[in-house]
Amino acid sequence: MILAVLFANSEGNILVERFNGVPTEERLHWRSFLVKLGAENLKGVKNEELLVASHKSVYIVYTVLGDVSVYVVGKDEYDELALAEVIFVITSAVKDVCGKLPTERLFLDKYGRICLTLDEIIWQGYLENTDKDRIRRLVRLKPPTEF
Amino acid sequence: MADSSGTTLMDLITADPAPVPAAASSSSSSSASSMTAAASPSATHPQHLSTKTTLGEKKSKRAALMQIQNDTISVAKAALNPVRTNIISHQKQKQKQKKPVSYAQLARSIHELAATSDQKSSQKQLVHHVFPKLAVYNSVDPSLAPSLLMLDQQCEDRMVLRYVYYYLARILADTGSQGLNPGGGIPTPNWDALADIDAVGGVTRADVVPRIVNQLTTEATNTDVEFHARRLQALKALTYSSSSNIEILSKLYEIVFGILDKVGDVPQKRKKGIFGAKGGDKESIIRSNLQYGALSALRRLPLDPGNPSFLHHAVQGISFPDPVAVRHSLEIISDLAIRDPYAVAMALGKLVAPGGALLDVLHLHDVLARVSLARLCHTISTARSLDERPDIKSQFNSVLYQLLLDPSERVCFEAILCILGKHDNTEKTEERAAGWYRLTREILKLPEAPSNSKDKSQKTRRPQPLIKLVMRRLESSFRSFSRPVLHAAARIVQEMGRSRAAAHALGLQDLDEGAYGNQYDAVDSLDSDMNDSSHPEGIRRTTGVSNAAGGKDTIAGMLASLMEVVRTTVACECVYVRAMVIKGLIWMQSPHESFDELKSIIASELSDPAWPATLLNDVLLTLHARFKATPDMAVTLLELARIFATKVPGKIDADVLQLLWKTCLVGAGPDGKHTALEAVTIVLDLPPPQPGSMSGFTSVDRVSASDPKSALALQRLVQAAVWFLGENANYAASEYAWESATPPGTALMMLDADKMVAAASSRNPTLAGALTRLQRCAFSGSWEVRIIAAQALTTVAIRSGEPFRLQIYEFLHALAQGGVQSQLSEMHLSNGEDQGASGTGLGVLITPMIKVLDEMYTAQDDLSKEIRNHDNANKEWKDEELKKLYETHERLLDLVSLFCYVPRAKYLPLGPISAKLIDIYRTRHNISASTGLSDPAVSTGISDLVYESKPAAAESDTLDDDLVNVWAANLGDVPAVNRVNEFLAGAGTDAPDVDENIISRPSVSYDDMWAKTLLESTEMEEDDVRSSGSSSPESTGSVETSISSHFGGMNYPSLFSSRPTTYGGASQPSERSGGSRFNNPSMYEGYGSPIREEPPPYTSPERYDSFENPLAGHGSHSFQSQDDDRVSSGNPQFGTALYDFTAGGDDELSLTTGEEVEIEYEVDGWFYVKKKRPGRDGKMAGLVPVLYVSQSSGST
Repeated sequence: MILAVLFANSEGNILVERFNGVPTEERLHWRSFLVKLGAENLKGVKNEELLVASHKSVYIVYTVLGDVSVYVVGKDEYDELALAEVIFVITSAVKDVCGKLPTERLFLDKYGRICLTLDEIIWQGYLENTDKDRIRRLVRLKPPTEF
Repeated sequence: MADSSGTTLMDLITADPAPVPAAASSSSSSSASSMTAAASPSATHPQHLSTKTTLGEKKSKRAALMQIQNDTISVAKAALNPVRTNIISHQKQKQKQKKPVSYAQLARSIHELAATSDQKSSQKQLVHHVFPKLAVYNSVDPSLAPSLLMLDQQCEDRMVLRYVYYYLARILADTGSQGLNPGGGIPTPNWDALADIDAVGGVTRADVVPRIVNQLTTEATNTDVEFHARRLQALKALTYSSSSNIEILSKLYEIVFGILDKVGDVPQKRKKGIFGAKGGDKESIIRSNLQYGALSALRRLPLDPGNPSFLHHAVQGISFPDPVAVRHSLEIISDLAIRDPYAVAMALGKLVAPGGALLDVLHLHDVLARVSLARLCHTISTARSLDERPDIKSQFNSVLYQLLLDPSERVCFEAILCILGKHDNTEKTEERAAGWYRLTREILKLPEAPSNSKDKSQKTRRPQPLIKLVMRRLESSFRSFSRPVLHAAARIVQEMGRSRAAAHALGLQDLDEGAYGNQYDAVDSLDSDMNDSSHPEGIRRTTGVSNAAGGKDTIAGMLASLMEVVRTTVACECVYVRAMVIKGLIWMQSPHESFDELKSIIASELSDPAWPATLLNDVLLTLHARFKATPDMAVTLLELARIFATKVPGKIDADVLQLLWKTCLVGAGPDGKHTALEAVTIVLDLPPPQPGSMSGFTSVDRVSASDPKSALALQRLVQAAVWFLGENANYAASEYAWESATPPGTALMMLDADKMVAAASSRNPTLAGALTRLQRCAFSGSWEVRIIAAQALTTVAIRSGEPFRLQIYEFLHALAQGGVQSQLSEMHLSNGEDQGASGTGLGVLITPMIKVLDEMYTAQDDLSKEIRNHDNANKEWKDEELKKLYETHERLLDLVSLFCYVPRAKYLPLGPISAKLIDIYRTRHNISASTGLSDPAVSTGISDLVYESKPAAAESDTLDDDLVNVWAANLGDVPAVNRVNEFLAGAGTDAPDVDENIISRPSVSYDDMWAKTLLESTEMEEDDVRSSGSSSPESTGSVETSISSHFGGMNYPSLFSSRPTTYGGASQPSERSGGSRFNNPSMYEGYGSPIREEPPPYTSPERYDSFENPLAGHGSHSFQSQDDDRVSSGNPQFGTALYDFTAGGDDELSLTTGEEVEIEYEVDGWFYVKKKRPGRDGKMAGLVPVLYVSQSSGST
């Protein structure tokens, strides 16, 4: 289960968050935990260099992409390596939507499209589509494989 | 929420608005009203609506909704008016004022634009401005649904439609409880509640959901070719509808199966390279798209294990050309396989055969699909139900082994984990041990090369031992720069260690040495690299360094070189990776090897301030788990735990540490107990940090308590250790007053102190050592430590026999004198402020302790005088005399119970000589051993002790409050227990605590604590009504219940409170020594169970040997319960065995139908019965289930 996907800006404001199967009362904890994690570790990290953390049996993989940081939290089959796959799909799709590394402004301008993209990547806590062309097609309401 | 710096996401989004097409704005009603803000209150609110949920928001939202309603109506009326200007005017206005768009505005815009969705500009507005901003809110107002559905039916624009499906899915997903929807961002209020208030314009979820579902269902079943993209999206949106709704669920199954029935059959085999590729004819592509959509939906539906068509469709999916569909299908099947491996294996049939679809998955470019394949293969290849089909099992097994060569680490590691026997966290030791066996002994034989293989692959097709492949892979992973890879590799090493520990615990290594060598010989002929590997690991180890250096290909050699790489990974920047590495090292640590290296690694790691507390506690919990796997390592692990105590006292949970001490102490066995106790109390040898002079202190014994917080925490640890020592010293030393045959030391009174100490230490060095430590703490610790040390000493004094009690008595006396001498005279007048200003400051505290010991000694003296008088005069004891004696006994027992737990049935405050007399009295008066606590004597006892000697009640209260708080801080180990259990079970996904809160336990007031004690003792009393007789087995049963109730209430982490099986196990290690310990998994569970503190079931009386009073002897069986209504003495009950019963334990008795038995007593559904002659098991007496015996009322 991918428990959470979270985008934050460099100041720690949360831009997008998607929780799956996380009780409301725990979301606040996760949010602040992830933001704190990023604030402590993401300084000077290269774009798309993956960082890892864990809490009990839950894994966290996070990275920087332009002005935004991306966090993915998962458990069970979504261990740190599977999350690395997930975050790779997410970052490449976001880059695809933004056309380049997103600045915060660019990210917000493409906000709706990014939400739809995420919707195609993660569906009810499971990774769905990984191919970015396919994701792009699905976001435009085209069939996954075109003829 | 999202705004840690005061700005909301909406602020951010609208802060720098994109240029808006400036259209001519006409004055519509809403824009006018918002311009003249104050004019209409219903219109002002939406403009200034805060995105935070406040009390006032409900009203404003309601107003907003009303306005939406009004607006929509007016829009409908004024059809000629170009309504799209509404939003544009808003935008314009916003641009001017830089105000964030409110939810109400967005909602209104959607309503308006939906009405004109055929116009291009409306669509543009929706796609570029309205929908993206709406995405910011984490739930969607159901009142938007009609407009969304309208858009769905009328709009043609793909982007608009895509958004419509997105929002419809979110409306469906919103389960009403705001928490469970997957949305994010700014919270929106509870729309349903809002709609209830707003009776006029309210649209509730209940209203719209059926409409949405109907609409989506229609679309999902639309077979129009051109429509199929929308069909997929509709199906996807439908899966978000609440899974608890059976109606929708069955509809969904119907749709999905309907699609799969049509397109699921793929008679022709998938062509190579067709995965995800473009091209192909239109029909097959549409078919593949529909297959994908259907399987994706199926994956989100609940598993339906019994349903053959569910399984059939899932299995079909493996052959689909769409890679995502294949992944989903494998995921579903591997989940199903856990429930019913046989059915799945049969359904898969030929797919696993060479050239089958399952083997194609090996080359599928989808990591998660291959991960699922690994799981599936593991489940089937280890399924018991397939034992009769070794061919199937070996096919799957071979696929699993091939996955070890997978280019993706994720897949390879999953395969390793599967081979190691780890699938979830519920594996048994045997499974893990078998996993280690598999890994170290099995060989990967690749099937015949496929036709298109090149010569290069020739080399890898040689059979390879798994261990070698795994080691190579891990070593190369450890050289990776990617932190997730490092973390995962370290985790795999940890799991390897786990399986290896399990194998060692089961003695697998020794059992199969021969087979091991042979198997490797077979390999040797095939693989020349392996010629040095015919020695099993154990031999290799013991033969010394020379071999280890040369024998790179032995398992030991490979492990050694792997561990070398692992150790270097400690240099990783990331603490989480390091933590995982340390956990791996702890698990890979062999009990027979030196752990100096590990120790120094941990010590140097802990000096790094970057470690978060939770992570350190995780490592500490790993020590717990390691101990559970290998109890032999108790002392080693305690030494490691000690490093935590000294290095990072501020970051670790004292309760967890204390629990570890306790677990290790219990598990260390009789020989290790002394060492274990020493290892624990080594914490006490640390010099206490002194307030104000922390900096100069860090160098001493490497203690790091450089800041006040950690100094305080270290202090707490020391307190915990002192308390632990007091509570458990008697256990560790196996010294109990009620077992001691030494008469209370009237003779020893004559000895001087030095000789006494010498005598004590020669008698029991463990206890003497503990006493010395406690005494030092009582002198030199901080006041908190001194208080606890005095308490601990009292506990030990009460529980120990002579000469220890006397020694402590002397010591306490000296302590009290030292502190009190200067002030005692004025103490009554003092307000207590200067307590502790000189001496030890413990005078007030110690006085009641000394008093209780005084009373015991006085009473003992009196008793021995009385006995002498009676003996000299050759008098019988009169009833009054006995009564007086008995009352003294009970009174003292009550007093003693105030200080620490003692088994009331056994404890003899008057010394062993009183046992006979008290028994006589009890027998005469039908008194059960444990009565007395419930009467007011206890409360008087408290007041006697606490207040009698100290008229200044207020003063003593304050002190006691402190005491109790200190106690309470140390006692509550239930959270720690939960934490450990959770960790051992591998559970725990709850959110981390960011604030590192160290002291967050509720303080317990003195009154509460005693009130609870009294309450508990009443329960105990009730339990004890059933039992009687000073040392008959049932009274030991009552000891057990009273322990649990007593300690359950007080949360003592005492050894006495642990599960009785454990206690028995620890005190009688012979019972479960060696290999037998692990043969029975339930026994193994019990072995570690001190971690659990649940009310114990009744267990055999024999377990309680240590509680037995040797003086009471077997004669005491004649003092039987007389208040028990079933059994009255002199009128024994008889019964006949109704059925055959086979004894299940040492304490049970086998019965043959019709056998006559004499029923001694009943306890917890069991009769203790005697037979006239020994039965099948050669026993005469024992426990049998009540239902197996029919009682005959008459006596014979």
